[in-house]
Amino acid sequence: MAKTRQKPDLLQGTLDLLILRTLQWGPQHGHGIGVALRASSEEVLIVDHGSLYPALHRLERQGWVDATWKISDRNQRAKYYRLTATGRRQLAVERSRWTRLSAAIARVLGPA
Amino acid sequence: MSWQQWRKVIQRALFFPSQANRDLDDEIRFHLAEETRLQSERGLADGEAATTARRLFGNVALAKEETRAVWVSTRLEQFLQDLRFGCRILTRSPGVSLTATILIALVIGGNTTVFSIAHGVLARPSAGVHAPRLATVSWVAENGDIETNLPYPVYTHFLEHSSAFQPIAAFDFARLTMTLDSGSYALRAGIVSPNYFDTLGVRLVKGRSFLPDEAKSASGLVVVLAHHIWQNNFGGADDIVGRPVTVNGQPATVVGVAESNFRGALLFELADLWIPLTGEARDRLQVSRGTAVAMIGQRREGASLAEAQAQLAILWTQLQQARPDLKQRFKVRLVPYSATAGGNSIVSTRGNRMLAVFSVVTALTIVIVCANVTNLLIARAAVRQREMAVRESLGASRGRIVRSLLAEGLVLSVVAWVAACLFAWWISKGVVPFLVSHPETSAPVVTPDLAPDWTVVAYALGLALICTIAVTAGPALRTRHYQLLPFLKVGEQGVVQGRSRLTHGLVVLQLAFSVLLLTSAGLARRSLSLQDSLDVGFDTRNILVATVHTVAGATTPESNGRLLEQLQNQLGRLPGVEDVSYVPGRRLSSWVDFPVRREPSDESVLAVDNAVAPGFFAAFGVPLVAGRDFTRATHSSSRSAIVTRQLADTLWPHESAIGKILLTGPPDRPARAEVIGVVENAYFSGRGTDGPPRYIFFSSVDRPPAPGETTFYIRHHAGLDGMAPAVARALREADGRIPIASLRSLETEIASEVAPFWILATLLTMFAGGSLIIAAIGQYAVVAFDGRRRTREFGLRIALGASSRQLVRSVMAESFRLTAIGIVAGFALSVGAATFLARVLFGITPTDPPTYLGVFVLLATASLVACYLPARRAARTDPLVALRTE
Repeated sequence: MAKTRQKPDLLQGTLDLLILRTLQWGPQHGHGIGVALRASSEEVLIVDHGSLYPALHRLERQGWVDATWKISDRNQRAKYYRLTATGRRQLAVERSRWTRLSAAIARVLGPA
Repeated sequence: MSWQQWRKVIQRALFFPSQANRDLDDEIRFHLAEETRLQSERGLADGEAATTARRLFGNVALAKEETRAVWVSTRLEQFLQDLRFGCRILTRSPGVSLTATILIALVIGGNTTVFSIAHGVLARPSAGVHAPRLATVSWVAENGDIETNLPYPVYTHFLEHSSAFQPIAAFDFARLTMTLDSGSYALRAGIVSPNYFDTLGVRLVKGRSFLPDEAKSASGLVVVLAHHIWQNNFGGADDIVGRPVTVNGQPATVVGVAESNFRGALLFELADLWIPLTGEARDRLQVSRGTAVAMIGQRREGASLAEAQAQLAILWTQLQQARPDLKQRFKVRLVPYSATAGGNSIVSTRGNRMLAVFSVVTALTIVIVCANVTNLLIARAAVRQREMAVRESLGASRGRIVRSLLAEGLVLSVVAWVAACLFAWWISKGVVPFLVSHPETSAPVVTPDLAPDWTVVAYALGLALICTIAVTAGPALRTRHYQLLPFLKVGEQGVVQGRSRLTHGLVVLQLAFSVLLLTSAGLARRSLSLQDSLDVGFDTRNILVATVHTVAGATTPESNGRLLEQLQNQLGRLPGVEDVSYVPGRRLSSWVDFPVRREPSDESVLAVDNAVAPGFFAAFGVPLVAGRDFTRATHSSSRSAIVTRQLADTLWPHESAIGKILLTGPPDRPARAEVIGVVENAYFSGRGTDGPPRYIFFSSVDRPPAPGETTFYIRHHAGLDGMAPAVARALREADGRIPIASLRSLETEIASEVAPFWILATLLTMFAGGSLIIAAIGQYAVVAFDGRRRTREFGLRIALGASSRQLVRSVMAESFRLTAIGIVAGFALSVGAATFLARVLFGITPTDPPTYLGVFVLLATASLVACYLPARRAARTDPLVALRTE
């Protein structure tokens, strides 16, 4: 999913939704989130890593995710993100919004 | 955002940004390591895996920056980040930063000092005056003449009918003698309406102020004392209220004491006591002034100054129609009250003009310093061009770069502002008392409080902000012209800038303004030295001036005349005294307003008239060129007069004036006087005019003055320091009821006339000297920086055979061109300014050659030195080193 600067609202919100959904399965670091998204979308969604981190930090700032530092098995510091209660609520909101949006688009496009 | 999040943000921005950065680095590094591992597992070699991982990630620096942007997404956080960055940049080049800070601090400090002086003297109310919305009533004629006092009925009319301007108090001023057990004292008294203290909001620490009809009653005179009189002369006694005192020979009772430090509403009419303003009181005290009073009052709450003034104007017109005898050529004007407002003293009228001069000087020095600092910062920015280009290629917008430059400038200015406030505070405590206590400025009796208050500090902040904007505009403007590629390709020093118009323009600007300030200072000094070297026509040394009050010792003019003669004799008998004479009043009059003419039909010539005692010209040491001096014998026929040679030549050219009759006074009722002597021209009453004015002297023996102030002029042998105490003793022994108001030497009195000019000249010299140094340093810096950047070019030229002397000459020729332009522009400005200055200063011509020559030599020398030093260094470049330098 290449990010362009012209349409931040739609794509940014979608990326947030996907990240929150991924974290629902458990705490994960940035790289792991990218891999998970790729895997669960069957190679369709390839996250632009350069936009992943700004998104993660923004989510952290808004309080929807929490971060802790752990030492990886290779003795490197890694930052693990985790969904907060607020984040969980927000996920539900975003999810319903996305459902409404995709249904509306489907209606507009009409029967194939 | 919640409070928690705010706290985290501020913490991150201010205290732990480096920690946050390190975290981010760690996070990205971990990501890349993981991706590399993934790629290796897919079969790529190690090196290829790493590069693939990098490639997949994208622009690492940009991603980090965008993440940081998330942290600092609010303007405030961005601003704080810029400030921190600014501090870091400033500490990286300490030389430039320190210089810039000192320069800005000096100029802000100097200017705030001047501002605080002006504010302290011109804008504050007198001590003890607490009422709000006060305004002084001033009277202005069409030709610009200002009057402060108008007849009493005008006051009563205003008092009765004005509504927007209430309450109104009236006051006048006189000198009285107060006699106590301890002796007689010459005091200054305010003659005031009963509501005076209430109108001004002055507290009374003891007793009460005057009751409305108090003075009309026959129960006697009442006075209110000033605080220091109560402390010094009565020992601060608790039973002061009700104590009897004698004022001008009349019994009076003390009814109150004013709060400490209150000496009256105006700075230049300080009072030691106050008496009520009624005709009876004035008669009893034989206070010989007319019935004119000054007025001060409060605007009613809600009424603007214009409204109140309009109402007074209407009342004034009504009054003039109803009472044609009160008609005057003045219009009424309300001036917001301050200790020096509305009067016709030197400070009130000239004060504004001097303030204008200082404001311009202020502005000039600010421009000079800002131009200088801008050049310094531009020079530094030139070194950072590469950094700017890289930042821009990484995605920073121009606006962001400009904002960070602004933050740098702001940090600089805030530091400078703090330094400047300290500097100004130090000056007000240290330098100003020095100025005021200098013998030539002994005039002001009260030193105004000049420590910077909030107004001054705010003014300094305003200046600091202006400086910020000014110095950052320069480098910021330059960022518009950056082309990315050349800077990325070559090294820092590689690009030859070519002639930079902005920098050189600023150097020329500084030089021109410095020239302007230098010529102004030079002209001021010249005016001073002209005044000093002016031959007043007599030897001013060894003349003692003693002013006494004779009210307590004599009651009629005749008895006063006898008393004065007696005093004159007694003083003349003192050892060491050569001649003694006296004049009525505090000093010789200098008003050129006395008309004299030969025939009634002639046009009148204006002269200065004074009444003097016999022996006056001997005491002053001015010779009589014809005729004789006054004698003690009185003449019953026409009055005798002595005129100066100039007046005699004007009225009777080529003839002897002795024995001629002249007419004085209005044409329809002339008074006759016979000329019995002609005296040499001299500046008897001060140097304020161009050319000695025409004097006419009358004998005080013919018409003895009423008891009051009289001033003795005593010429004594050189070198007798004990003269003053001997004179004081002799006067006291002659009549103990006569206090001495003041005892001073004529030299001091004449010297104190030039006090304001001396202050002006000194301040101008300080500012001009500072500007010259700053401009020279600025030019040095520009040439040095130019030279450093052209190292390669110089190295090449030397390698190709140029001698060092040729190089020096070429560099200097280039920079001297700027100097020449600056000097020419500066002189043009100076001529313009000097025509304005000629109105403030005395006796100078706008194109005074010695001054301009001196300024030219001074500036040319300074500029020469400033250009030569870096030129010499440039010429010493080792060509091998230069060509290899990147």
